[in-house]
Amino acid sequence: MGSTFILFMPNLINSRSVFIVVPAYNESTSLQLVVHQLLANGYTPIVVDDGSAKSLKPFVPTASAFFIRHKVNLGQGAALQTGISFALEKNAAYIVTFDADGQHDAKNINELLQTLIETNSDVVLGSRFMKGSVHNMTGKRKRLLKLARYINYFFSGLLLTDAHNGLRVMTHAAAKKIQLRENRMAHATEILSQIKKNKLKYIEAPATVLYTDYSRQKGQTVWSSFRIFFDILLNKVFK
Amino acid sequence: MNGIQILLIASVVVIMFFYIVRLRSAIFDLIILTIFSGLAIFFILFPEYTNDIARKMGVGRGADLLFYICIFFFIFIILKMFARIRRLESTLTELVRQQAIKEAQSQSTEVKEEGK
Repeated sequence: MGSTFILFMPNLINSRSVFIVVPAYNESTSLQLVVHQLLANGYTPIVVDDGSAKSLKPFVPTASAFFIRHKVNLGQGAALQTGISFALEKNAAYIVTFDADGQHDAKNINELLQTLIETNSDVVLGSRFMKGSVHNMTGKRKRLLKLARYINYFFSGLLLTDAHNGLRVMTHAAAKKIQLRENRMAHATEILSQIKKNKLKYIEAPATVLYTDYSRQKGQTVWSSFRIFFDILLNKVFK
Repeated sequence: MNGIQILLIASVVVIMFFYIVRLRSAIFDLIILTIFSGLAIFFILFPEYTNDIARKMGVGRGADLLFYICIFFFIFIILKMFARIRRLESTLTELVRQQAIKEAQSQSTEVKEEGK
């Protein structure tokens, strides 16, 4: 990027070269808020509209954020990969994945970036279960995620504290190696398999997850976890 | 020949004809199709033989043996279909992605890359 400004962040990261991939499907109210938050923190958001019924373009200030639209709905995994490919073309230094429903905190990104640089890792994965993070989950959801943790371990070989967290930070080089082929939610496990396969250095860092009534209503239900499990199985059977 | 036999043989012949018209170039598939159709007509005409085969395999009746074979055959077909759907899906994804990125590229000239 032809930026002349370098923001005074501790490690002299140009925050405009931090690209935030925000996959969105039929979001509107929360998306607007999320994009504004990201812009306020100086990042470059890439909103990937995954074939929403109505284009989400009016909710994205296209003067300062990128907007990509899938003509048909493909799934969150596909949207993420599109955003990552686009960010790589735009020569992003760091690529962040961020959910559009407003459950993440944009302030966490900087902390995760610091962790990435300090520990010299390739990927930092947000975790809502680590010390220092806040979450407001019901007991049922918590138990489900505990179970998902071991399913993930079984399929990917990485045992993490939080299995399905949408907040991740990766370097340009790491993002280049990750090629998501799972279109739907099973991409979360696929990312882990690819981290393992490509021997990327990863670390977990605490990240806040605050569900609103809106995100609860939009988010994954217990039943959708069966679909994810089935997709993971299919992925293993048909390589 | 009784009524059901005429009906079944007619169906086999119609299906075979349909495939022959469709698969003109795939010789190997046509040979397999002809063999299967021939077998089908043979067993429709002489159903007693299926009982003999079934008894040799330890199954009571020919109809039962056919039923078991059918189950596995359908599972096989479903798996093949899944694989094909996944291939289609990845092709579609690639197309949609490239088109979406191209469109975004042409619009992104509007994006002003300011420092802040």
